[in-house]
Amino acid sequence: MFRRSGSFACVFVEGSTPDPCGQDFLSALAEHRFRTIEDAASEQTSIGWVTAGDPSGNTFDLEDMDQDGAIWLRMRVDKKSAPTKWLQIHREAAEKSAGRRLNAKERKELKEDLLSKLMPRVLPTIRLIDALYLPKDGMILLFGTSSSVREAFLSLFYKTFSATLAPADPYRLAVSLNLGKEQADQLSRVTQVSWPRSNSAASTTVGAPSTTEDEPTPTEDLEVSA
Amino acid sequence: MSRSDPLAFLGEEFLTWLWFRIETDGGEFDIGRQRELAVSFDDFIAFAPRDDDETEHILRKGTPSRSVEASAALRNGRRLTRARLIIAHGDAVYGVIIDGPTMDLLSVKLPDDDPEAASAEERSAERIAGFTSLREYVARLYELFLRERLKPDYLDAGGAEQATWMATH
Repeated sequence: MFRRSGSFACVFVEGSTPDPCGQDFLSALAEHRFRTIEDAASEQTSIGWVTAGDPSGNTFDLEDMDQDGAIWLRMRVDKKSAPTKWLQIHREAAEKSAGRRLNAKERKELKEDLLSKLMPRVLPTIRLIDALYLPKDGMILLFGTSSSVREAFLSLFYKTFSATLAPADPYRLAVSLNLGKEQADQLSRVTQVSWPRSNSAASTTVGAPSTTEDEPTPTEDLEVSA
Repeated sequence: MSRSDPLAFLGEEFLTWLWFRIETDGGEFDIGRQRELAVSFDDFIAFAPRDDDETEHILRKGTPSRSVEASAALRNGRRLTRARLIIAHGDAVYGVIIDGPTMDLLSVKLPDDDPEAASAEERSAERIAGFTSLREYVARLYELFLRERLKPDYLDAGGAEQATWMATH
């Protein structure tokens, strides 16, 4: 069942994808499906598509994804990581038996040896990232707002459909709203308002422009008419 | 995916404008097609620093938009950078934090599930519709703001009114 709360970012799809209700779309997802790393010794991260109906990534049924015009996508991210304390204990034991501190090369070799033995036995952490693709709006609601999730989703989407994603930030969102020519022209020239500083209701001041040394930002100052 | 929008300030101006409109016009917004939204501020607001030397100013709990600290921030010309809003359309009430510079919608709370929804599939579809509706409501509110903000005489009209409201809050 889809969540009832959470955070999401809107991103615009730049480029085209196959018809989300067609076989090509499902085939593209299947080509970049999630692949398990449960028994893998070397791979520490696996990212791929699954569906709400099949978290293994083995099947892609449209009925699990089509929600009245919105396509429910799900990205699965599995990550294995060795317990750092465990590595530390083994390093200390090796140093004790050697009677000296291991040098950097020996530490690296020891870590690689330990990881090759340990990783097949480590269970991955699993993250499921939901997204709603709204093909009519050319937009995706991505239910993950961290930069790592965004980057992973962008990368997987691009590999799958050769279409890039752009954040629906204030500018792009404004452009998408079909404001009309006059306001679109104004959008290209708009600068931030520097609201007046006023220590009391009675005082009248003019706001100082908000600028940084690196990136001067043009501002429009306002006077208080009170 | 670049997050550096040169017009990120518009998201902050949007939140501050919403606050201004809610306090001066009552918080009802006609978003077209005979739809009206009721919007109010909830228990979290954050003010953007005016420059690199200032800190972000966060107010939580109660009704921070009516606090002395919030009034002082407005009088100092500070814009909102994030705020938790309550947005109601008919009986459907949403909670959301809008992040102005990115327009991300954070900590969304959808209206309660329809108790008559018979299956998990129905509830899923209802929730998905809730998220897409909320996205559209925020976009429509942003459009109302832009239609005023991008008027050539904005600084002499709505902008001047807002400056007075901020200075006398």
